[in-house]
Amino acid sequence: RQRLTEELDRPKLQLLALSSVGIGLTYFLVWRRKAKKSIPLGDGWWGHGQQTLRDDNKIYPFKVETSEDEINDLHRRIDQMRYTEPLEDCGFQYGFNSNYLQKVVSYWRNQFDWKKQVAKLNEYPHFKTNIEGLDVHFVHVRAPHRPGQKVLPLMLVHGWPGSFFEFYKILPLLTDTKDDLAFEVICPSIPGYGFSEAPHKQGFCSLDAARIFLKLMERLGFNKFYLQGGDWGSLITTNMAQMKPQCVSGLHLNMLAVTKRGVGMLLSLIIGPYLPFLVGFTREDVRRLFPYFEKNVYDLLMESGYMHIQGTKPDTAGCGLNDSPVGLAAYILEKFSTWTDRKNRDLEDGDLEKKYSLDDLLTNVMIYWTTRSIIPSMRFYKENFKTNPQNRVDARTGIFVPMGHAAFPNELMHCPLPWARWRFKDIRSYSYMPRGGHFAAFEEPRLLAEDFVKFVRKVEGKKR
Amino acid sequence: MLLEVLLALVLGAVVLLVLRRSKAAVLKTEDGWWGAGSPPAGAEDESIRPFQVETSREEIEDLQRRIDQTRPVPSLEDSQFNYGFNSTYLQKVAAYWRNEFDWSKQVDKLNQYPHFKTKIEGIDVHYVHVKPKNLPEGRTAVPLIMVHGWPGSFYEFYGILPLLTEPANADDVAFEVICPSIPGYGFSEAPRKKGFNSVCAARVFLKLMRRLGFGRFYAQGGDWGWQITTNMAQLDPTAVKGLHINFAPVENVGPLLILSILLGRRFPGLFGFTELDVKRLYPRVEKMLVEPLKETGYFHIQATKPDTAGRGLNDSPVGLAAYILEKFSTWTDHEFRNLEDGGLERKFSLEDLLTNVMIYWTTGSITSSMRFYKENFAKGFYPPHARIPVTVPTGVAAFPNELMHTPKLWAKQKNHKLKTYTTMARGGHFAAMEEPGLMAQDIQKFIKVVEGKK
Repeated sequence: RQRLTEELDRPKLQLLALSSVGIGLTYFLVWRRKAKKSIPLGDGWWGHGQQTLRDDNKIYPFKVETSEDEINDLHRRIDQMRYTEPLEDCGFQYGFNSNYLQKVVSYWRNQFDWKKQVAKLNEYPHFKTNIEGLDVHFVHVRAPHRPGQKVLPLMLVHGWPGSFFEFYKILPLLTDTKDDLAFEVICPSIPGYGFSEAPHKQGFCSLDAARIFLKLMERLGFNKFYLQGGDWGSLITTNMAQMKPQCVSGLHLNMLAVTKRGVGMLLSLIIGPYLPFLVGFTREDVRRLFPYFEKNVYDLLMESGYMHIQGTKPDTAGCGLNDSPVGLAAYILEKFSTWTDRKNRDLEDGDLEKKYSLDDLLTNVMIYWTTRSIIPSMRFYKENFKTNPQNRVDARTGIFVPMGHAAFPNELMHCPLPWARWRFKDIRSYSYMPRGGHFAAFEEPRLLAEDFVKFVRKVEGKKR
Repeated sequence: MLLEVLLALVLGAVVLLVLRRSKAAVLKTEDGWWGAGSPPAGAEDESIRPFQVETSREEIEDLQRRIDQTRPVPSLEDSQFNYGFNSTYLQKVAAYWRNEFDWSKQVDKLNQYPHFKTKIEGIDVHYVHVKPKNLPEGRTAVPLIMVHGWPGSFYEFYGILPLLTEPANADDVAFEVICPSIPGYGFSEAPRKKGFNSVCAARVFLKLMRRLGFGRFYAQGGDWGWQITTNMAQLDPTAVKGLHINFAPVENVGPLLILSILLGRRFPGLFGFTELDVKRLYPRVEKMLVEPLKETGYFHIQATKPDTAGRGLNDSPVGLAAYILEKFSTWTDHEFRNLEDGGLERKFSLEDLLTNVMIYWTTGSITSSMRFYKENFAKGFYPPHARIPVTVPTGVAAFPNELMHTPKLWAKQKNHKLKTYTTMARGGHFAAMEEPGLMAQDIQKFIKVVEGKK
């Protein structure tokens, strides 16, 4: 030993020490990058006044109900509608066309059967449970027991102006399958939407909704589960995966918002149309993204007025809509027309009934109407835009759970795979869907279900 | 080094300015027709018909019934007016409206001045025509058109009308005032066809003044009224003797403007910036980006989906009141956002505020009033008239709480004959209604400068 230390004189020792530190540091940095980062859970309480000590963790069954009074009041208000003539030849360019609105309203008044729709809603079991001071509503659909079938837990989260009801067509496709894989599905309502109680305090954003939904899954006894979402549901499920990656088996999204702009994005926008393969774009990406200014800036400006007013003055924006069912229907259904296909803006009837039935569309509207939740639903925009969305902790943190993306051609924004990779570090499936828009589960339940199951099989297949 | 660069930039800017000035163009426009279907053969009916605002038992009972049917949603704790109109205070306003507000009495008040309607370009245009009653011998009243904006109406001018038509001071000018309603607002018929923008409104109002026999007149306006009267001066500079505005947002961003934004805080004197200018413009990001973003949601949705935005408001009077009165609160003073009652009754009476709302309610014109936003941005943010300067004598009354602040330097870029620029002592966006005395004073000051120079 003495000979060793003699040979390693001071400079050599220093070099050895330095290189050890250097290697250690490099290894540490590399390992850190690969290590799964999560965002803090935080906590909150959203009830009236001061927080009560008593914490009720019970889960109560819930039934959607209606009454003669409720239906008569609705009819009375519909009858009181004060019609405004639309401009000549304007289609849906100025918003929901008044002429077509009269047809919708007439159906609503005379043919729509809310009692029948309520019975339809109650076909699946509903529950409520109190989390962080709020009654959180959810639908819980179990798979019928089939021998040899693996049943995986899954949470589906809706967005605005949707609801849990958007998933009613896809639920049987996921729960009642005939093959070896089925799902037990939880469809909650975001607090402030539909049958979930609205927060009474300021500041309730997607991070809080994510934490509440994680607590919900925990309360229901699920340690590991899949998540699927679009619109706000996409952000909330992403936050859930960031908060407790160890609980999330996989995350499937049908909408991806690009938050990290920068040189990379700029380069791909400049080079993309001409040499797409150089920046990782496919031909389909080019088709969907360009002309960039028209499709992504101009179109987005045209379509984001609602977001701007809801993100700043939600109480004002929703006030009239809570008294006028016709106004509420026009406001909500305009999105189901335009966000399904932007070309619908040029049509007199917005092609609303091409992909949806009036019964389904109005049932979704009724959920907002009967629960008076339009204003709280709009507040969610303001709460999420209070801090610069690009600086919030979740925007600066990656997502390390297995992810799958179904890119529908008529979605509001297209996110090519190279851009998705900036934040999602483990993308297992990326599919260009053949048709469909923003309300994917509602419009193309079969396509979405197929892609989701395909994603799950990939994840389950690779699992160890 | 910096000084050299600065001087070079300033020189360059001046050269550019001089070059641009010499290219001053005249605003062109074509005729239009806004009625239903195709224009009928033959000449238009140019008669001027007297008009009376009317109401009925049914109208008032229907309103009260709807107010009773309001489904209020409580505001978040401690949110005041930051999320929009506060729910608790809204219920107070609704209760007053339901139980104390007397619409019949207000209708009589509206009718104290003579109203008229006349058909121009296929639609009925409404206006109030007020002549001075006690004009001394040999004096003629100076004709003046005053144009309102959104969500205002001709009624905003009822406080200032007596000050202009019957001035207390003997050597003040007495005006003969025309207060029209923009087509699609209040008692003016709404256009049936797409494309009715501020230039069309300006053309219609020029025809109106001509029809009433006014060859030369003054124009006053704020909000859309500013845009329309400015377009009038651009379309026919010989008809508009002088233009007085209380709102002058920048439409064209030039090198001098950019320079002043970048350096104005450090070197205010270089650009003629006053203390108020610096206070209103800096810090830049907060005052020029964040604040406007916070307050332009309505603008964005009305400029894209007006028919959707107005739909619910035409059935719910309380919803309509919340939407409109939120502006009367926040645009009078941004600080009012932090008050439980939005400071609404500090500068206005509920009676006056609700009369304005009733004008939108009884005429069902909220949707058509919103369409004006879409029509004006159909061609983007730089339509032809934004690039053409104003060459008639102009006076700017800069109220300290106006939505967008315009220093004198910026106003001069657009208005090449800026005769007066007054930093007003107090007041916000609805200047004529909030501070009629101050506004009337400034109009007099402006007129005297213009008439004195003749």
